[in-house]
Amino acid sequence: MFTRSRLIIVAVCLLALGAVLANAPLVSSQGLTITAAAIEGDLPIDAPDSALWQQATAVEVPMSAQMIARPIMPETNAKAITVRALHNNAEIAFLLEWQDATRNDTTLRVDDFRDSVAIQFPVGEGQPFYCMGQQGGDVNIWHWKADWQASLIAQQNLQTTYPNLAVDQYPFTEPAENIYLAAYADRNYLTAEAAGNYLALPTHGSPVEDLVAGGFGTLTTQPLAGQNVRGFGEWRDGVWRVIFSRELTSTEAEDVMLAPEKLYAVAFAAWDGANQERNGSKSTSQWVSFQLASAPGTGAAAPAGAAAQAPLTASVAATQPTGFNPLFWGFIALLILIPLGVGVVMLYFYLGNKA
Amino acid sequence: MPDVYNWHLGRTMTYPYPEAHPTKQFAAVFNINRCIGCQTCTGSCKATWTFSRGQEYMWWNNVETKPYGSYPQHWDVKVLQLLDEAHQAAGVQPQWDHSQASEQAPYGVYNGLTLTEASGPNEQVLGYLPAESEWRSPNFYEDTSTGYKGGAYGLSPDGASLPEHQAWFFYLMRICNHCTYPACLAACPRKAIYKREEDGIVLIDQERCRGYRKCVQACPYKKSMYRGTTQVSEKCVGCYPRVEGADPLSDGVPMETRCMAVCPGKIRLNGLVDVAEDGSWVENPKHPLYFLVRMEQIALPLYPQFGTEPNIYYIPPRWAPRPYLRQMFGPGVDHAIERYTAPSRELLAVLQLFRTTQKMIFRYEIEEGPLVREAEINGKPWQMYNDTVIGFDAKDREIVRLSVVEPLHERPMERLNSI
Repeated sequence: MFTRSRLIIVAVCLLALGAVLANAPLVSSQGLTITAAAIEGDLPIDAPDSALWQQATAVEVPMSAQMIARPIMPETNAKAITVRALHNNAEIAFLLEWQDATRNDTTLRVDDFRDSVAIQFPVGEGQPFYCMGQQGGDVNIWHWKADWQASLIAQQNLQTTYPNLAVDQYPFTEPAENIYLAAYADRNYLTAEAAGNYLALPTHGSPVEDLVAGGFGTLTTQPLAGQNVRGFGEWRDGVWRVIFSRELTSTEAEDVMLAPEKLYAVAFAAWDGANQERNGSKSTSQWVSFQLASAPGTGAAAPAGAAAQAPLTASVAATQPTGFNPLFWGFIALLILIPLGVGVVMLYFYLGNKA
Repeated sequence: MPDVYNWHLGRTMTYPYPEAHPTKQFAAVFNINRCIGCQTCTGSCKATWTFSRGQEYMWWNNVETKPYGSYPQHWDVKVLQLLDEAHQAAGVQPQWDHSQASEQAPYGVYNGLTLTEASGPNEQVLGYLPAESEWRSPNFYEDTSTGYKGGAYGLSPDGASLPEHQAWFFYLMRICNHCTYPACLAACPRKAIYKREEDGIVLIDQERCRGYRKCVQACPYKKSMYRGTTQVSEKCVGCYPRVEGADPLSDGVPMETRCMAVCPGKIRLNGLVDVAEDGSWVENPKHPLYFLVRMEQIALPLYPQFGTEPNIYYIPPRWAPRPYLRQMFGPGVDHAIERYTAPSRELLAVLQLFRTTQKMIFRYEIEEGPLVREAEINGKPWQMYNDTVIGFDAKDREIVRLSVVEPLHERPMERLNSI
């Protein structure tokens, strides 16, 4: 009986080792590398269906609920996010895809919460804490919002949400239509907007908000002039597909700077509005490695079957680095050595027990 | 989590932040017995603060008819139910021990869980987010009394006899309580809510707020409200420019809020009380709020068991069933109604000060007058004196002078109908 169970454990270890060697999907996001394939010409920044995306390797990044800082929602809906990246030596674009059964793209009503997704980069060297960074370790966050996207397509307002809404007048905030209304407008009645809150602007040029954070509760919108991330998102058949794009370089200290041949860290988060996910109630990944392929054609090739047509079933593709990557190969060596060691120890006890 | 002292509960309780108190606290007494439900307060607040797009549903001040009316609907029943479930899960039978009442614990000691203590591991505060539909119809069940089967035609000589009416309702007028330990502040993951050091008014920083609505979920009184057009939340601001004395009318001294100053029923008295470093009210027997709340103890906090130490105090209605009132205002209800029904000489004078001036009254004096009436109330002799009460503003200038007996002027016959 004991012999059999020990045999099973040894077999499981061997299987795990085999799986690692065969590049089977990993449970943790550790060890994943996203490589932005280099292409010539314009990036498909508003075309998730573009064939260009097939040149990028799809990486499925596992996500789980944020469980560190309250408020905590242990059951969040997004379990994984499929990421592709392209660059053309001037700009970078990410295509993020994840399953979401409902489209929540308004926040006008008091119990409406938006679907959204975010990419996070360390601003400086090293990897700060993967959830919102830490003091002295700022992170640059790009946050795409479904309602901002919807507003760019068709302006949302209370009249569309509440067709029967009837209010005689909105004094001081809207132009006077008759002599009984004040002839002037005072922006102070739109308190959040007057206070300089970027969220409160009536329109946003991009559905992506560019932010910086250095720990829980410190998330801060970058100044209006520093809002330099574009976005495009589309929901179809239970899948959100969202593109982020930005110039590789930026003049702002709060922005991540990207260059080829360098290994970066990147993390992702997604919120399902239908589940009232917002703020720390979200699905988040750990840090994932990220690099830019140096020239067209040298980026990781898309494995067969991982094309854009079936993105969410795409298997995890480990990196095929352009040169010798000590971090990556060291990690692989650890993955092989640890189960081997465990196997040897178990075999030793197994044999001892049998004797 | 740190421990903080809550004098409403007579004990320390857990709260996400350590104790730090303002030097003065915005507070008020609302006399439920005198409210006529005219909603002038509600309208004045609306006309001052919430008349813009996205604020249509907001009523920072509202008056609801108890026991059925509520805005948002069933807020109190829902929060009480959540607390009840938490108590059952924890095996706690919440009780007030009035025998332990003292200077530091005027209502005795409460052993139940507060909203910050019953929140569980995942939230800072036990609460719920009202559905959009629950914010509609703010005055639903207006003037609806409890059912009572009377005699012929439903009439009964006993239906409305004291001490407890058989068929009853009362108005509950509510604004933000500017709590000592605000649940909204505890729940905000961004520290976008703060309590002002100078007057204890609780505000949402309109620049830092990101519209997560954790405050809407946490505030048991549901006085944080989300504005869809700006994507951030707003709340009652305690008319802070008036409280600061910034209104040109005030001559630089603190004024009552709009809702307090307009009240035709003269049910509200608003002021600033001095707060000691330990959070207790600095003894000041000639301050009308200190006198009503701490000395006479006729005005009580709304749902003190929530543990936020709210700063709006209510004189409970004399005619409503006591168990209902004790649930709503704590164990001080019987004492408060007894004192209010047969007011002391000084109390009767101080009650005249309600809503007689827009300026906040910081001190009062009483000039004694003659005995004008003798009666028997609840089997005990009671005397009424026509004393004069004088109110002083923050600069200690006389701002109001009133007698207990209202001056009467009888028009001569020939001008009976003139205006």
